[in-house]
Amino acid sequence: MTGTLRLLLAVALNSFLESVRSRFFTMFAVFAFTAVYASVLAGVMAVDQEARLLTDFGLLLTELTALAYLLFGASTALLKEAETKTIYLVFSRPVPRWAYLAGKICGSLLTAALMLAAMAVIHLSVLAFRGFGLPPGYAWVLAGTFLKLAVIVSFAYFVSLFSTSAVSTLVISSIMWTLGHFASEARFLAEKAEGFKGALLGFFLHLIPNLQLFNARDAAGAAGALPASVLLPAAGWTLASYLGGLWLLSRKEF
Amino acid sequence: MKHVVSFSGVEKTYKRPGLLGAQYHTAVKDLTFEIPAGEVTGLLGLNGAGKTTIMKLITGLLFPNAGKVRVFGHNPADAAAKARVGFLPELPYFPPQVRPEEALAYYGRLSGLSGAPLAEAVRISMSRTGLEPHAGKRVSEFSKGMLQRLGLGQALLHGPDLLVLDEPVSGLDPLAIHDIRALLAGLNAEGRAIFLSSHSISEVEKLCSRVLIMVRGALARTVKRAEWEASPAGLEGIFVEAVK
Repeated sequence: MTGTLRLLLAVALNSFLESVRSRFFTMFAVFAFTAVYASVLAGVMAVDQEARLLTDFGLLLTELTALAYLLFGASTALLKEAETKTIYLVFSRPVPRWAYLAGKICGSLLTAALMLAAMAVIHLSVLAFRGFGLPPGYAWVLAGTFLKLAVIVSFAYFVSLFSTSAVSTLVISSIMWTLGHFASEARFLAEKAEGFKGALLGFFLHLIPNLQLFNARDAAGAAGALPASVLLPAAGWTLASYLGGLWLLSRKEF
Repeated sequence: MKHVVSFSGVEKTYKRPGLLGAQYHTAVKDLTFEIPAGEVTGLLGLNGAGKTTIMKLITGLLFPNAGKVRVFGHNPADAAAKARVGFLPELPYFPPQVRPEEALAYYGRLSGLSGAPLAEAVRISMSRTGLEPHAGKRVSEFSKGMLQRLGLGQALLHGPDLLVLDEPVSGLDPLAIHDIRALLAGLNAEGRAIFLSSHSISEVEKLCSRVLIMVRGALARTVKRAEWEASPAGLEGIFVEAVK
């Protein structure tokens, strides 16, 4: 293993451990358990659609819980390190800024993987308690959620490098996440617009990640698998945010 | 005489964006000095004199707007320079849940250490800073003095040739100050150069062989130990005269 890769892993592991140690993590774990359990009540009311409602509601809550926690973490991570001067101890050492930023994003993704796995266990336990088995395509839905989180978390890191507060990073990233779920509709409308206005709108809309691509249940039905081709846009948007963030970080003074 | 750090015509201006245009503040200007190898050099000045800016320029956390900073002959942002410098910022922070060895191991990894050399560096650092008896405690249980020792410990991990210490005895009780002073004297006796800033003239007087006095971003005076020892008012008198 090269020295720089070792540095990247050290930052990633530290970032992951910081997330797991955080009291917020405990709070979100309790929230996730409560929320998923609450879906049982909703499921009972659905009568003959109970399995579907329990599955959809649980998966939605899983995604929103992980999203909220990770966006909070990504929005505050660099700001907190600057405020506490921890960043001085890092960048006064021979740590390349690209390795630091990549390590931070990798740490968040490790946290995302752990959160999704933990909440999936809780969710599946609730389903089993109600007498239902593993929903078809379940792992693909989680994989799609993970890809969405990768895209939006790296975007949040990018925004946090120029925004003035953690709140503005959270708001901008949340807006991007929402827009990303309406990307196809927005592009359709842009195509309807003609001339320069349409071209300009189309260009800006292509900067918005199409998060609908990663909705496995939307894409191919309940039993659908995510096509391997979605990895490319996920990697592209994640990398674009990372490179943008790196450009800002390499010029940043502390 | 060999120099570990050299500043040549250095200027650093901070830009603060505002609604009615950016505001500029020059923190240091036309700064030229050297830090000799193997010596303890002090940096004195009132608040806002540019002490922390100088420390950040040496450690590559800030970039100069004009002039040249060299650390062991390299640009301070280069890995070759950073590998030879240990930095203690004022009031260092460590996550409250971790134990000192965990914190040191993390910073040791960031200094490029791993495996047995990392474990040995952590052990030596714990021992030198007197933290061994507190190895089982979490940082949240640490006093200010113990945090400062831990801060020094992380700066020592990779065996740097130059220690840059921003207010190393700030807010410490007399016993902790005594211990830190003894530790720094020991490190200097090993041949390491130390560059420290402080508001405590008496501390600087006890530790340093040379002192730089900063006034409003400019170097007002460079004083050697022999000079303040020969002065009836001591270093304090020279400092007050320089900043008035």
